[in-house]
Amino acid sequence: MSALATVTSVPARRRAIALIGTVCALVMTACAEDAPQDTWQPEGPNAQKIHNLQWPVFAVAGLVGVIVFAAIIYEVVKFKDRGQPIPKQTHGKPALEIGLTIVPALILIGVAVPTVGTLLALAETDDTECSVNVYGQQWWWAVEYPQQDGCGGISEEFVTSGQMVIPTGTKVLISGTSNDVIHSWWVPALNGKRDMVPGRVHTLRTEADDPGIYAGQCTEFCGLSHANMKMEIVALAPDDFEAWKANQLEDYKSPEEASLAGQGEAVFIQQCSRCHTVNGLEDANGPIVSDPEQYVYSGVAPNLTNLMTRNTFAGAMFDLLTDQCRDRVWGASPEEFGDRYLEAVTPECLNEVELREWLRSAPSKKPMYTDASELGATDGRTRGMPNLALNEEQIDQLIAYLLERK
Amino acid sequence: MAIIERPADTVTSPPPLVTPSTAYGSFRRPVQAEGWRSWVFTVDHKRLGIMYGTTAVFFFVVGGVEALMIRAQLAGPEGTVLSSDVYSQMFTMHATTMIFLFAVPMATGLANYLVPLQIGARDVAFPRLNAFGYWAFLAGGIVLNLAWFLGGAADGGWFMYAPNSSVPFSPSNGIDFWILGIQITGIASLTSAINLITTVLNMRAPGMKFMRMPVFTWMVTVTQSLLLFAIPVITVALFLLMFQRTFDATFFSVEAGADPLLWQHLFWIFGHPEVYILVLPSFGIVSEVLPVFSRKPLFGYPFVVFSGIAIGFMGWGVWAHHMFASGLGPLSVAVFSISTMTIAVPTGVKIVNWTMTMWGGKLRFSTAMLFAMGLVVQFTIGGLSGVTHAVAPSDTQQTDTYYIVAHFHYVLFGGAVLGFFAGFYYWWPKIFGKCLNERLGKWNFWLMTIGMNMTFGPMHITGLQGQPRRTYQWTPERAGEGFFNIGFWNLVSSIGSFVLAVGVLLFLINVIHTHRKEPPAPLDPWDARALEWMTTNPPKEHNFDTVPTVTALDEFFHRKYQDVGEGDAHDLQRIATAEEILAEQEAKADEHIHLPSPSYWPLLLALSLPVIALGVIYGLVVSVVGGMLAIFAIFGWALEPATADDSEFDPPVDDEPSTELVTSD
Repeated sequence: MSALATVTSVPARRRAIALIGTVCALVMTACAEDAPQDTWQPEGPNAQKIHNLQWPVFAVAGLVGVIVFAAIIYEVVKFKDRGQPIPKQTHGKPALEIGLTIVPALILIGVAVPTVGTLLALAETDDTECSVNVYGQQWWWAVEYPQQDGCGGISEEFVTSGQMVIPTGTKVLISGTSNDVIHSWWVPALNGKRDMVPGRVHTLRTEADDPGIYAGQCTEFCGLSHANMKMEIVALAPDDFEAWKANQLEDYKSPEEASLAGQGEAVFIQQCSRCHTVNGLEDANGPIVSDPEQYVYSGVAPNLTNLMTRNTFAGAMFDLLTDQCRDRVWGASPEEFGDRYLEAVTPECLNEVELREWLRSAPSKKPMYTDASELGATDGRTRGMPNLALNEEQIDQLIAYLLERK
Repeated sequence: MAIIERPADTVTSPPPLVTPSTAYGSFRRPVQAEGWRSWVFTVDHKRLGIMYGTTAVFFFVVGGVEALMIRAQLAGPEGTVLSSDVYSQMFTMHATTMIFLFAVPMATGLANYLVPLQIGARDVAFPRLNAFGYWAFLAGGIVLNLAWFLGGAADGGWFMYAPNSSVPFSPSNGIDFWILGIQITGIASLTSAINLITTVLNMRAPGMKFMRMPVFTWMVTVTQSLLLFAIPVITVALFLLMFQRTFDATFFSVEAGADPLLWQHLFWIFGHPEVYILVLPSFGIVSEVLPVFSRKPLFGYPFVVFSGIAIGFMGWGVWAHHMFASGLGPLSVAVFSISTMTIAVPTGVKIVNWTMTMWGGKLRFSTAMLFAMGLVVQFTIGGLSGVTHAVAPSDTQQTDTYYIVAHFHYVLFGGAVLGFFAGFYYWWPKIFGKCLNERLGKWNFWLMTIGMNMTFGPMHITGLQGQPRRTYQWTPERAGEGFFNIGFWNLVSSIGSFVLAVGVLLFLINVIHTHRKEPPAPLDPWDARALEWMTTNPPKEHNFDTVPTVTALDEFFHRKYQDVGEGDAHDLQRIATAEEILAEQEAKADEHIHLPSPSYWPLLLALSLPVIALGVIYGLVVSVVGGMLAIFAIFGWALEPATADDSEFDPPVDDEPSTELVTSD
């Protein structure tokens, strides 16, 4: 018969058990659902290594906590003032103290050894099979695929934004920096985070086991739209990845001049091309060269060549897909995912409402510094996309043009 | 300090000893003992302690309101309570206020009040410096918060990472006010550190050896030593940032070749000791309260003291655990990961000692005791989540998420704040002469505890589910499926924060109720152990009628009780009551008691600081004026008489030597 049983009443014990049971149930259910950025659902070997280290440490910590609470609850019940005389004025027991110092120290040594092992393994960069560069800037991510033998061979460098596409089962090494303030690249299903610091290049291993789309978010406070600076890593089976790669490097095809898209091209050249690059775009005078350096403080704007092959925009803040089409892609099984992703954004699936609102006035959709009155400190250059005062007709034309960017 | 004999008979007064006389007519010292002037010019450590505490609690409420606004914004998806810009200001100021304007000054206030009493002294070593410290703190708090009204508060986060803190990315003056406000409060902290350390080293009563000092005094000593070395680091960092922003320096300009990580290292070399500065005083408070309400001495006093000192030293070696994802190489990360795990050991020792203090005791669950036990429980939770961060690879998943927010609120709120509240309930009769109402106190405790756990408990979950920090909104798309998703737990947190606010409000109500309705407290309401209880409630201006001679740890307890048991048996008998002990002290009262006079100059010097600060932002001419005011104040301080002339005091009313300062006006 435990001491606890002798001093607590049956109703009290029942209540205690009920309370503990409720708390456990809550905690279990809390862990049971599918947040896209859940850190306890690894989908690649790097995240798995972290998870294998993390959950035992949590278990040990939890056990220590339970022991401390149990001791205190026991004391509260057993040593309550019930009129007993003032107790013996013991000053301590060095043997117990030293023992209870050594035991935690030993536990921590037990934790430290695998910690160092894991962290060295995660810092390994010699076994890279595919190199991808990222650039953070307020408030979106640029993704660059340098010319290389890795990633199945990339003959010519190309650039995308917001979604990084990688082949499954491949050791990808992300090398990243920033074009303005410190950002941080974090796709929890695949690895921990790494800060992207201007003036420095940091590396991060990434590998996905299965095809799918893995959500991420900037995790270093970077100003007004830090909360809106998101990204996804899309993993495709190797042959799907080859198809995707080939598409990215396809030549530019100008739309028919008289069509809505053709008119859109003209609007794009006039209104958008000074910041946004579309590879191969030409006008009567020759190739269009964008110069975002002049207009944007971080010096870059997203490359829109293949906009509709991704399914988010504006720093992955908004979906290019309607809810139904989005669920179809994001909820696809690994076997179906590649085909559905490579369908890209069709006119039926385009989230036209959000895209229209963005084109109508980007600053009203996403907090940014684009008002002339706010640009004194940046020599008149914006931080983010300004309101271009486009009319509805121009927006119609642009949307038609953009739908063909794939 | 005044070292002039004050004779009972003013007719045959000996000449003043060492100081200039009132020949320097304008440099007289104020003499008021009542009214607002007796507070504004005071150098009495007890009054200053009360002023520190009141101001700190005010800022606690300010910081709390800022927190409630944050939680209101995050209660639902894509909230519209605060714009992104205001939200950035709100979380920056919430943290800044809580850390620099509440926690540090609250501990300083309690230290100022109690340390001299606990070591048997009559004041601190440098009373005018003490007064300066308070007014400088108030000035700094005002400068920090002026920004709200002058273009927007600082918006770069309390950690203010470069280059986001530079002018192109933060064009308003908010960060400039922030820099200057913290510089000023830093000066205040430095002066307190010098003052309190000197006091503990030099002014202990006879027989008050270091290993007989109460643990609160020990923890304060370690804290002030940490401040002494940590504040200069942040001072340097803030100067670099100020020059970057105001004078176009390039310390943090990447184009000029700077490395933004420089700021991070400087900030966290300060920042990590700072968190021990925040929590160690509360560890000291709990080490006082638990023994009293367990009717047993602190278990393992030397271990508690030495673990506190160990934490003080080791706290310098862990700073880069705030930078595990910052791009340090794996070797640095490994070293700091291991050092961080190591620091868990002395902290764990304390938890063992507190738990074992209660073991075999005679536990009385007064409100002070509840808060102290609350600290042991909540800090354990926070400390254990801290151990999970020490594992650097895990930390790359956890850092910058709400899991970290949960950790530090458990150690700061569950640690520092619960400790302060334990101190309030424990020492209220000492400071104000009445015990806070116990019934209201229990409601205060339970609502705060429930509110705190409702607010910060779910953050462990939302953080591990991927909710990043410092985000003004969360979206349904990233919130996950199911009922218990990120959205649900954010709502629970927000509701919890309002429960917590009601708990805090109950404390304020208790203060007012106690002032109005509660009877005066008895002399020794808790049957306490340490020396500060061997005085009246509140203490007389000179604290002790006669400076006590100390023969043991828990001196007061040993004067009240003696163990008359034989051999192994123990039998504690009361040999004297508090009233008897105090009467005995009064009978032996010193004839002449030397007390420092009030002064104008600390206030004036403190006021010059915000003037200098505003000049940095609005025009250096103003800084020059402020500088001149500072120099004038320093001269006044140095040249004023050590005490007001005797003729300015009323003569003592009785024939016996006076033990009270009677003053004119």
